[in-house]
Amino acid sequence: MQALLQLEGVHAGYVEGIDILAGIDLRVERGTITGIIGPNGAGKSTLLRTIFGFLHPHRGRVVFDGEEIHGLAPHAVKRRGIGYVTQGANIFPQLTVDENLRLGAWVLRRERGRVAALIDHAYTAFPRLAARRRMRATMLSGGEAKMLSLAKEAMTEPRLLLVDEPSAGLAPRITDQIYARLLETRERGLTILLVDQNIAKAVEVSDYVYLIERGQVHREGPRESFAPHLRDIIRDALLGA
Amino acid sequence: MTSARRLGWVLLGGIALAWLPWALSEYHTHICIVSLYYVILAIGWNLLAGYAGQFSLAHHTFAGIGAYTSALLVHHTGVPIVVGIAAGVVLASAVGYVLGTLCLRMRAIYLALATWAFAESVRLLIQVEYGFTRGDLGFRTPLLFGTPHPTKYFYLFLGVALAVGLVARRLIGSRVGTYLRAIRDDEEAAATMGIDTFKWKRAAFVISAAFAALGGGLLGHYIGLLSPSPMKFNEMAMIIIMVVVGGLRTFPGPIIGAIFIELLSELLRGWGEIRMVLFALLVLVVVRAYPAGLLGLTGAALSVMRNRGPVRFSRRSASR
Repeated sequence: MQALLQLEGVHAGYVEGIDILAGIDLRVERGTITGIIGPNGAGKSTLLRTIFGFLHPHRGRVVFDGEEIHGLAPHAVKRRGIGYVTQGANIFPQLTVDENLRLGAWVLRRERGRVAALIDHAYTAFPRLAARRRMRATMLSGGEAKMLSLAKEAMTEPRLLLVDEPSAGLAPRITDQIYARLLETRERGLTILLVDQNIAKAVEVSDYVYLIERGQVHREGPRESFAPHLRDIIRDALLGA
Repeated sequence: MTSARRLGWVLLGGIALAWLPWALSEYHTHICIVSLYYVILAIGWNLLAGYAGQFSLAHHTFAGIGAYTSALLVHHTGVPIVVGIAAGVVLASAVGYVLGTLCLRMRAIYLALATWAFAESVRLLIQVEYGFTRGDLGFRTPLLFGTPHPTKYFYLFLGVALAVGLVARRLIGSRVGTYLRAIRDDEEAAATMGIDTFKWKRAAFVISAAFAALGGGLLGHYIGLLSPSPMKFNEMAMIIIMVVVGGLRTFPGPIIGAIFIELLSELLRGWGEIRMVLFALLVLVVVRAYPAGLLGLTGAALSVMRNRGPVRFSRRSASR
């Protein structure tokens, strides 16, 4: 069966002549969490930015559900059912938690009943947010902001969720909660493409893992094939070998 | 305030404004017209810079484009003045569209520099092409009502300023206003929400250009003489000063600021260019002490008068 997302020989970069992505091939199967790990500067975040349309590849194809989406603007990619949780918390700090969630469902705003149900669901999944629903987002802690950002992106029930560094800068206990939410989201049938520096955790939650180095896939395989070599991979990633 | 009381105030204000040209001398009515012209420009620039966060330095140029397009068209083809002004608005919108497209990927200081370069280029072009535009000699253009007497023009400018204000108000309150604020606060977050950020930034450019061209076209046919000197950077600085002093990112701010600064500027006419230094100081004081501008100051003063104690209006509450 055809994968939900497929990248074929994607080359992309910010400056002409310097490719951050140097021919990436990648498949994201439906209903799975696909993890992307690799050292700093490997091109992990650039990969997500390219899929979402912030950056257009100058070679190669990005195919989502049978349709070529490279070259589309971000809002058009979003409309096709892809959500993007960026590395910085992409929430509006001057708006309340509730308003942020409503904005997350902006493209669905005409379906009031559905939006109300989705907001209820978000508060059930993230009770900490429910307690702070009238608070301005700027008052939230780093972990809560990340949760809000995740909940806000999940509002549109995207078919594919791109998640960039969900654990960056957070306490381990909060991190565990965030990963638990990701697994729960997959149970609801969502497909997730996860980029992470936290290699051990990423391998733990992912069904299939790609190791990226210098803009190319260095190694790939199901979680089981990565688990035994985790120590070596982490050492190489940290030392940039 | 109940709607009946509000209607009463609006009626009272309307009567007072309508009565103004009868109470004032011709000279003072003229000052009011120029104030209203600046109100139109300031509302447009606040929409672009305050709400959408696109700090353009070419706003006065669009007024110039509107004025020259209309004057040249009327002179060379003999079309009615109204058609000329409409053509100026259309051309300025088109130029705004192109400039907006070129500047879409630029942020902050680069956008300011690019629009400034554009503004200076247009001004120099008008100055140098004196065979066509008469350059610094000035280009004579017929008067809209055939007479320089200001009363009719006052009502016209009042109506147009009111219309522009209402359109801007509707826009700010609509979903488009929400898009623009989202783009200003965090363009990337706005895009991940599914907003076509390019489209709406460009729309803000086009709308503000159209407002400016309308004001410029009308003023040209009121003054009757065009020259490239009001297209100098000083004019842009005046618009920025008006909006900032009045209250950036607020709806009434540019209106209050435009009238206040224009009146002050006339009052201090004897001081010459020193006025600009004074205004610059005023801007510094406002930005430091009251970011919400005169509007915030008035609000704070009102609440003191109602014995509620002083309230400092922060930029936060002003931008909502």
